[in-house]
Amino acid sequence: MGIVEIRNLTFKYANSDKPSLYDINLSINKGEFFLITGPTGCGKTTLCKCLNGLIPNSYHGDFSGEVIVDGLSTKEHPVYELAQHVGLVFQDPENELFCTSVEKEIAFGPENLGLPRDEIRKRVEEAMAMVGISHLRERSPYELSGGEQQKVAIAAILAMKPKILVLDEPTSNLDSLSAYSILNLLLNLKKEYEMTIILVEHRLEIVAKMVDRCAIMNEGRIIAIGDPREVLYSDIVESIGIGIPKIVKLAKRLKLSSRPLSSSELANILKVKK
Amino acid sequence: MKIFEFEYKCETSIIHKLDPRAKLVYVILFTVLTIYFTNPLILLLIFLSSVPMAILGKIVRKWLISIKSSLFFIIFIFLFNFIGIFWTTGKIIDTIIISIAMTIRFISLISIFSIFFLSTSPEDLMQSMIKLKIPYEYVLTFNMAIRFVPTLAREAQTIIDAQRSRGLEFEKGNIFQKVKKYIPILIPLIISSLRRAEVIADAMESRAFGASKTRSFLYTLTMSKKDFIFISICIITFTIFLFLRMFSYIQ
Ligand SMILES: Nc1ncnc2c1ncn2[C@@H]1O[C@H](COP(=O)(O)OP(=O)(O)OP(=O)(O)O)[C@@H](O)[C@H]1O
Ligand SMILES: [Mg+2]
Repeated sequence: MGIVEIRNLTFKYANSDKPSLYDINLSINKGEFFLITGPTGCGKTTLCKCLNGLIPNSYHGDFSGEVIVDGLSTKEHPVYELAQHVGLVFQDPENELFCTSVEKEIAFGPENLGLPRDEIRKRVEEAMAMVGISHLRERSPYELSGGEQQKVAIAAILAMKPKILVLDEPTSNLDSLSAYSILNLLLNLKKEYEMTIILVEHRLEIVAKMVDRCAIMNEGRIIAIGDPREVLYSDIVESIGIGIPKIVKLAKRLKLSSRPLSSSELANILKVKK
Repeated sequence: MKIFEFEYKCETSIIHKLDPRAKLVYVILFTVLTIYFTNPLILLLIFLSSVPMAILGKIVRKWLISIKSSLFFIIFIFLFNFIGIFWTTGKIIDTIIISIAMTIRFISLISIFSIFFLSTSPEDLMQSMIKLKIPYEYVLTFNMAIRFVPTLAREAQTIIDAQRSRGLEFEKGNIFQKVKKYIPILIPLIISSLRRAEVIADAMESRAFGASKTRSFLYTLTMSKKDFIFISICIITFTIFLFLRMFSYIQ
């Protein structure tokens, strides 16, 4: 059994007339780096909220099926308990940060758990070291750059010590350099700390070659799942019009037999051909 | 168009580092003094005693702004007292002296309170509220309200600019027409704030808000030596002022 198990999940928001998620089945293994992508409105954010129990605990609607994370069914456990197993990082860090210093921001979660002060201190230090922001500890979160803010938001979640990290478009408000830095950080969290990472992301160009598996969603359903080389080169992906990496398009045009995901891979293939 | 200039900047002066409770002692003692005295010279001394606080706190510029922005009230208080007292007593010298005293009293109060608020971070204020046993939910609400003022102001600005680029003219018309023109700003602002509130609530819940009845804190306020020194200075000054009054009686 995977660390995340989703079985026949269908969810309709109370004030909506059709389900936002239809019959989702998904199993994610421990230590996997899993990518979810798809056109806007396809239900990615809704799926993220199902993963940490905000749905069905805090949102009204018709929920059927089951989501089991780290052995806990989200129907039977409150969000604050699930938060210690699955961390959710949101799209816009501005709304996630509300304390006056980076350090206090990261301490907010452990403080809510009522942990002793030494333990909070230890967790804050660890979380800052994991994302490399120890030098920002006394700064006010609002005067940081977007990329730094997102790192603070990630550290604030890591301080809860979750095994699974879910990120909903963490780079959508960032320039490509900061985005690259965030995505590399995630790869490092997976490699060094063996975290399970579920990432919703549009920057396939950067991220496709980092991940172990990817799923494509459309209109509330998962329409393709598997190795990114299989999925991104499949015809179904082309038909729904998500931003396929240019490299993939180019490789398809060139009718290459191999399937590069980045420009350097493509360059290597072409060099060999010459 | 600038709506607010209300963003607490993390400064590190001696005054900022004082415990808010120590500063509260200052506020209370000196407020009592300004209300107790009627002699304009002593009131002026009280006002002058707050100047070093502003200088040490490196907040002179903002402190001046808050005094300047109450200029309207200052003039109003002076005129109101002047007319009122002259009407009842008819003595021009007394009237001038008392009116001046009242005005200085008001300026001193503004000075004392603005020093407190300009040198105390919302976070510190929050911590002292917790120490005063106010429930954490209320304290957090207070904190959020302050935290999101600049965000809201920025959002209002964006909406104003958007409506203006669609041809809405805010400057034209009488006062009622002007008020009416702010409705197309207020409604989008309220809607976006409600949305934001939902996102913030989700984010807080995802960080285990409400998990434990006994929340702990990384930092709590503790009175240190400098706070006690500060309180002592305040008490000493307070007593000196009281003696000043006795002294003036003896004369
Ligand atoms: N709180 C809500 N109440 C009602 N309907 C909602 C709510 N949130 C989302 N929806 C609907 O659910 C569907 C999926 O939305 P969701 O936000 O999950 O999409 P998404 O894939 O994250 O899109 P995007 O790429 O724009 O972030 C949409 O049709 C949306 O209108
Ligand atoms: Mg979304």
